[in-house]
Amino acid sequence: MWQEKLRIKKSNPIHGLYPFTKMWITLLYCICAMILSTITIDGYPVYMMASFLIIPVLAAATGVLKKISGVIKSIAIISLFIVLIQGILIKSDLILYSLNVFNLFNINFYTDSLQYGLVLAFSVLNMGCMVAWFFGATDNKELINAFEKRGMGPKASYVLLSTLQMIGVLQKSAKTIMSAQQARGVETEGNVFVRSKAFIPSMIPLILGSITNTEERVLTLESKGFLVKGEKTRLFDVKPNGKEPIALTIGILYAVAILIWRILLWVL
Amino acid sequence: MKEKKYSIKKDFTLLALLLIPIAVAINFAGGQLASLLKLPLYLDTIGTIFVAMLCGPWVGGLAGLITNLVLGIANPIYIPFAIVNVAVGLVTGYLARKGMFANWWKWIISMVIMALASIITAAPIVVLMFGGITSSGTSLITATLMATGAGIWGAVISTELVFTVLDRIISFGITYLILRVVPERTLIKFSLGAAYIKTKKTAETVEEVTEADEDVDNL
Repeated sequence: MWQEKLRIKKSNPIHGLYPFTKMWITLLYCICAMILSTITIDGYPVYMMASFLIIPVLAAATGVLKKISGVIKSIAIISLFIVLIQGILIKSDLILYSLNVFNLFNINFYTDSLQYGLVLAFSVLNMGCMVAWFFGATDNKELINAFEKRGMGPKASYVLLSTLQMIGVLQKSAKTIMSAQQARGVETEGNVFVRSKAFIPSMIPLILGSITNTEERVLTLESKGFLVKGEKTRLFDVKPNGKEPIALTIGILYAVAILIWRILLWVL
Repeated sequence: MKEKKYSIKKDFTLLALLLIPIAVAINFAGGQLASLLKLPLYLDTIGTIFVAMLCGPWVGGLAGLITNLVLGIANPIYIPFAIVNVAVGLVTGYLARKGMFANWWKWIISMVIMALASIITAAPIVVLMFGGITSSGTSLITATLMATGAGIWGAVISTELVFTVLDRIISFGITYLILRVVPERTLIKFSLGAAYIKTKKTAETVEEVTEADEDVDNL
């Protein structure tokens, strides 16, 4: 079950950065990726494609590469499909490459569409993986604590935190209910209609049970003074590790350099 | 009936606040059950629809937003689709306030409006941000349609149309079944809950009451 972590120790300097610093770095990177997508060589967004290499390096330096590699893989697959679908199925004037399949038909790659597909795919890949890095390097608890210090209400932070807990709890009970219903003879295998029918007897007890629990939780929270106005105390506290100015400077320098480059290309 | 006044602040009672995590978790569990049963649908808006029908548009919209943000922690692809889930919450909430779930033909009209709202918000994201491809299996159908010569908008919208309408029919059906069995003492605590009690007040309820009375007599 859920265990309360009162202290999160992070020895890695990047991993231990304050959540907002990591958020700014993520935002700056995404903006840079957008700017880079407009700088092209022969119409291909080469620089944006190259800038993607930063993410695995950054993730490895943070020590979360293993944690987010699954996400990166799934985003990469989608990006690959975006390129293929755009390049093959959206027709434009220029044909870049024509692949002949067993002398039966040709698969054409269209230049314009392929370039557009690459821009789309690498935008998705860059931003998606950077956000994945952010969430990989930041515990939800740290993030919410940081927001709370910035003035987010305790009600909002309670809702967010209990959401994260509730998902695990309900997923577990969904599985329990499904196996209970299986034991009672509800068919969970067969064609689509049989399986759809099994969805209902699993879903309804789950939702009804959780609503009944919610009523009890309201009583518990009210009796513990959740609605009392005044200063709230916390057990968990997130602190900056002192490397924030360096990290932010590097991020801003990177962004400014790219911005100047972009402007120079326009002017010259 | 007296016209009720609504305010955003009054919508967020403690019970409504605590229902948001449940709604998000129901969205998750629905999606998970759908994938466990290998159904070709997401079914991940049941919680949003449910909470919007009970607590109004703002609570529903917030539940939708949080769902996709939390999904985004695991896979950032979901974050842009938060707009769709928020739209589901808002539209369902407003329909519920207007009493659009009072009888069966209103349910059907609501379902169509809901599906339209989802498609209008989802299609631009799918086409403009992802070039027609999402992580779901329905993308294969979109791709097939595009290969047969349909434009990207036409392909995405027609695929979405079929699957969103199916998804909404099942989601609404489940929500309806749940609302019928939620105890009335619970329903009355929600700002829009009273509406669903009225539809239930039929011979069935009277029978239950008499049965309960008989049980007491037998004791």
